[in-house]
Amino acid sequence: MTDPRQTEVFERVVRPHFDRLYRLAWRLTGAKAEAEDLFQELLVKAFGMLDQLVHIEEPGSWLCRVMYNLFVDQHRRFARQRMHLVDEGHLPGQGLADLAGDLDPVEDRERLEKYRRLDAALRQLSEDHRHVVLLHDTEGYKLEEIEELTGTPVGTIKSRLHRARARLRQILEEDGTIS
Amino acid sequence: MNEERVMKEQDLLELLQDYPVPEAEAGFYDRALVRAVHKGSRRQRNRWILAGFGSAVAAGLAIWVVTAMLMTTPQLPEAEPSIPGVTIAMEQEHTVRLVFASAKALDSATLTVSLPDGIELAGFPGQREITWETSLQEGRNLLPLTLIALTPAGGEVLARLEHKDRNRTFRLRVDVS
Repeated sequence: MTDPRQTEVFERVVRPHFDRLYRLAWRLTGAKAEAEDLFQELLVKAFGMLDQLVHIEEPGSWLCRVMYNLFVDQHRRFARQRMHLVDEGHLPGQGLADLAGDLDPVEDRERLEKYRRLDAALRQLSEDHRHVVLLHDTEGYKLEEIEELTGTPVGTIKSRLHRARARLRQILEEDGTIS
Repeated sequence: MNEERVMKEQDLLELLQDYPVPEAEAGFYDRALVRAVHKGSRRQRNRWILAGFGSAVAAGLAIWVVTAMLMTTPQLPEAEPSIPGVTIAMEQEHTVRLVFASAKALDSATLTVSLPDGIELAGFPGQREITWETSLQEGRNLLPLTLIALTPAGGEVLARLEHKDRNRTFRLRVDVS
């Protein structure tokens, strides 16, 4: 049986970081079901480490690191064997249709089309390159934070970022997204 | 770097900065929290295993899973990275793990595995198509399939999952060495 006080403490520590963690899960996995799965796995693991978690000064960063390690240890290991859907596969832009916003329909359509192209371009990058560009340029992580998260030296991260941007520019120029 | 290049770099950065993430579904965080508290202490590692694998297969499931865990990752061909594939040796059993995610638990789903000529599922000699009723857990489900190649032709293994009026087909390319 779970002690209700434990549940309360756990929630108090982790809930403030949920949005950040969910975004990270999305950036790492690129798909809703897998992001939710990774998020869930993190919480299960974190709850099992509650004694340690309550003494951590920056639980948000710690949780991000645990999530990244979970992704590397489990998700990436299984990803190579994961079956791909024939009819509803890991399509570029999956999930983006939900993002239609307040703009008029034409602007919305153009905006979504742009994101779909960006999404397709990102999927042409290696996983390492995609992650570094998404974490740095999209999520606003500093190079040092990415180093701490992934264990990759800043010099390597810079190099990956440079190459990832160059490749993205090339792809998006070719398809007319950037002119 | 010339001015045009700078502008393109700027366009790219703006596009990336605005690249959105869909918000979590309403109630997802609360549900995740409840499940974490419920499961957290149990450390149930085998939660991915496909439940209700069917009476004909159930007796051999534990062995299949254990065997699968001991298998090394199959080498994937470079040519078609979008379709996973394995290379198996002739007349030797080779277990592949098919992992797929379900957004919610599904009861009474039907799973049909279709095999190309020359490839059999262990325990089902001579059968090109094997169908059984199954249940899926929410999250990742693991389906180990033990394949045997009887000819060097190879081909595609299809796994079709049907639930009510929806269906999805998964495919796996099998090469024989």
